[in-house]
Amino acid sequence: MATAELVLGLLSAGPAHGYDVKRGHDAWFPDSRPLAFGQVYTTLGRLERDGLVEVVDKTSGGGPDRTVYALTSKGRDHLADWLNDPVPPAWGSADEVLRKLVAAIRTGGDAAGFLARQRASHLRRIRELRETPADDDPTSPLVREYIVAHLDADLRWLDSALDRISEQRGAHR
Amino acid sequence: MTGQPVLELEGVEYSYRRNPALRGVSLKLKPGEVVAVTGASGCGKSTLLHCAAGILTPDAGVVRVDGEDLSALPEERRAALRRTKVGIVLQFGQLVPDLPLIDNVALPLLLDGHERGEAHVAARHWLDQVGIADDADAVPAELSGGQTQRAALARALVTGPSVVLADEPTGSLDSRAGQELLDVLLRAARYRGAALLMVTHDNVVASSADREIRLRDGLIQHEVSL
Repeated sequence: MATAELVLGLLSAGPAHGYDVKRGHDAWFPDSRPLAFGQVYTTLGRLERDGLVEVVDKTSGGGPDRTVYALTSKGRDHLADWLNDPVPPAWGSADEVLRKLVAAIRTGGDAAGFLARQRASHLRRIRELRETPADDDPTSPLVREYIVAHLDADLRWLDSALDRISEQRGAHR
Repeated sequence: MTGQPVLELEGVEYSYRRNPALRGVSLKLKPGEVVAVTGASGCGKSTLLHCAAGILTPDAGVVRVDGEDLSALPEERRAALRRTKVGIVLQFGQLVPDLPLIDNVALPLLLDGHERGEAHVAARHWLDQVGIADDADAVPAELSGGQTQRAALARALVTGPSVVLADEPTGSLDSRAGQELLDVLLRAARYRGAALLMVTHDNVVASSADREIRLRDGLIQHEVSL
């Protein structure tokens, strides 16, 4: 995941603390895993080392970290380049579902049962997304449609995997 | 969800000439329950729906609507039961082209011997429920696909059925119109308290069900709660 570039994007509106960056990220992607504080500060440190952000204010003391970061012009250029570049399509993805299915088949487990339960889990997630109330954020429906489209594609693959496993079982009988 | 099943299929078999489409399917729907029947083309989904609706008579097995065995009823009573207890929504509305919507929706009540005025009051109520009360005097050719399906839904619900059967209800619509119709369908069935059996290959439609029954080669491949 391009966390570094997203952090640059979150700083593009103006200087901010690490805490604001984390909050901004979680508001942009409410359906994704929240960004961990540790990851925010590690990323900001790396971006500062590479000259893409700079520290513009630092309040020392016993309280929470008050370091304020801002984009540099190099950081702004890097962000613009990243936003312009298309993402290479993933290939041969071996995500958890595929790994479990292969493991279930290889170990003689109940692959069809696993696929049926996975189907139900995907369908429940689509329903949750459909039932999430609309808000004013214009990016929310885009994010939701993206996730639903990917779940739908997974479901079509789960269907054909179920049929293939049933056919194989029939042929071996 | 409690109560006796409003729709029950027990060991239902059906063949087209010698090609078996259903090979012993059993299922039960309780009042208010929403069930999606999924599976690849030719798996027997639509045949199942037509048997449940009493449009096809199974070669073997039993179909009960509100506890009444459809095959044990004489044709006239079977038709009456179908008209009053079962609402059907097909992929392409199937409205009568020359009739204004109000008459299309009132039709099942008129066929059942209700007064015209009374039938129109009920039809107007359901046109309002599905959000097209303003189109009551339009004829089907003047409507969009989504409006046609809404009218078909109003017609399916006007008799106060215990069960609504929907065959690819969003199949002829684009994604947004399909989602809107699905919302209307679920809301109206819930408002009526009717059980809903939807045959679909659309995962978004299936995701709105309480239960998914997946068919393969005329048999239930799996059944999962959602």
